[in-house]
Amino acid sequence: MSGERGIVIDARGLSKVFPDGTQALDNVDLEVREGEFLAILGLSGSGKSTLLRCLNRLIEPTEGSVSIFGEDVTRARGKKLRKIRSDIAMIFQQFNLVRRHTVLINVLSGALGRSGLLSSALLRFSEYERKKAMGFLERVGLKGRESSRADALSGGQQQRVAIARALMQEARLVLADEPVASLDPALRHSIMRHIEDLNRKEGMTVVCTLHDIDLVRRYATRLVALRAGRKVWEGTAEQFDGDTFREIYGEDAEPASNTMI
Amino acid sequence: MTTARERILAQQNTPWKKGVRRLQGLMLDTILMLLVLLMIEFLALAFSGRRGPTGLLLTPEEILDLLSYPWLVTVAFVLATLWNLFYRPLGTSPGRATVRGVMPEEEFLPWTQTSRGWFTALLIQLTFFTGWLITEVQLLTFLTKFSKAADIVRGLMNPSADVLHQGLVLLVQTIFLAFMATAFAIPLAFALSFVAARNLTRGNWVARWSYTLARTVMNLTRAVEPLVWALIFISWVGIGPFAGVLALWVHSVAALTKLYSEQIESIDTGPVEAITATGASTLQVLRYGVVPQIIPPFLSFTIYRWDINVRMSTIIGFVGGGGIGYILKPRVDLGAWGEVGTLVILIAVTVWAMDIVSAKVRERIV
Repeated sequence: MSGERGIVIDARGLSKVFPDGTQALDNVDLEVREGEFLAILGLSGSGKSTLLRCLNRLIEPTEGSVSIFGEDVTRARGKKLRKIRSDIAMIFQQFNLVRRHTVLINVLSGALGRSGLLSSALLRFSEYERKKAMGFLERVGLKGRESSRADALSGGQQQRVAIARALMQEARLVLADEPVASLDPALRHSIMRHIEDLNRKEGMTVVCTLHDIDLVRRYATRLVALRAGRKVWEGTAEQFDGDTFREIYGEDAEPASNTMI
Repeated sequence: MTTARERILAQQNTPWKKGVRRLQGLMLDTILMLLVLLMIEFLALAFSGRRGPTGLLLTPEEILDLLSYPWLVTVAFVLATLWNLFYRPLGTSPGRATVRGVMPEEEFLPWTQTSRGWFTALLIQLTFFTGWLITEVQLLTFLTKFSKAADIVRGLMNPSADVLHQGLVLLVQTIFLAFMATAFAIPLAFALSFVAARNLTRGNWVARWSYTLARTVMNLTRAVEPLVWALIFISWVGIGPFAGVLALWVHSVAALTKLYSEQIESIDTGPVEAITATGASTLQVLRYGVVPQIIPPFLSFTIYRWDINVRMSTIIGFVGGGGIGYILKPRVDLGAWGEVGTLVILIAVTVWAMDIVSAKVRERIV
């Protein structure tokens, strides 16, 4: 059914070799269509995070091309690159909030891509932006915490601030890098549901690296698996079975009993 | 077709770069070997019982003049070359280990099982014994001849009230002198620290050259003693506290830039990544991702610097840079130990109080 939808990400032949000779990505193609919730699977070190970061050029790919919403990301410079990035929200495993700033400033910083230099240097945002930020905080269940310092919040709350920041950015694409891996298992679904909301209610396309098979099957519409920097498998959640599991994670890996039926 | 990885590795291992690394390792080994040989000859001469032209035992200075430098340089170079050529049976040399890494089979050996471990141990031992002779350590004199200094100590412990008033006035001047020097240093050091931080200056060649330039200038500035800066500024603006402010200012800019930029280099990259990903410009990334992280340590370093400047301004005063040191020097020269005692106590109490206050404040903000 996704066949007639527009292409959001079109990455071709992506390779990344770090200066120490580590090959993190090896000739990876990735195509993501509008409205998809794509999960990227793989062991740690398989290149998942590098792949996400190559998409918005937080990491410079060694080879290959990326185009997002039809714009050539790999060739973009300066203003053009910032414009493309402002359309792509990012959520991180370690939340990456500015710890000493207030929760509200952290949410507002999502709007930096469209705010003036001087006003943002003075941490001044319009009343309109502030109201909007407060609304997003309420939506992620953090009403009343706007003037707390970010590092005073628990991990789950910090990740919700990061989600409000992504909302504030008004992006059309969300890249989430292991968004729940450093959270208490009990909180994982709460965060994943917020990300699902970004996908369903806001219509944002989501690309999310995950290693918990349960979560992948519950939230993702499509899966891509990496192993040692190569794309080894691609398909829907339903097609994913024990054989695929061993193909991705190696012969020694054992799916946890409750994850596979 | 070659893969991206092979091409990257080939770029890093051009014959030229390989050659440069080999040469660096060899140079380092030659220098280390030369140090060992020189110190061995030094110790041999010192214990040989040879007498100098005056008929007395050789002094360390005379021995330093006698060492066979050109000959030992040659020997060191030959030995280092041999070690670099036959590193397989001999074990990796320290120079090779530093520049190119050790052989895999040596990686997890304790130092007692590698030749470079023993070599380093020998180097440290030799340095200690040579140092003992060169600095003319005399433990016995130190332990038995205290009585000569007793006069001074007695004077210091019986402070005279004569200079108390003048001392207090100048103490106030000292504290403000140190404060002004620190205050003037903050904006310049803040601006320079971004240019002098490695992690922010990888972008293009302009950034890389500004980094090298800023670091070099700061290191040279810091290498010149504040005392020398004081003499320069005294002839520039005349004797008095302002010359002292300028002398400490120059030194503080250099020192704070170094401390600040090291702090910038150790920031958490997460927020920087997050802010960059929102499409923020470089200046916005600095403002939101970097500055909030560095403000508390910067404050802490700045207060610490004020503390150091108070201590330093005493010495600056010795040459006419204002502050309490100005009246301390003539009293030391005259041997007015009671008055010196008063001033020393005043300085000690101030430094001690500043130390406690600055530690408390720094605890609060970090």
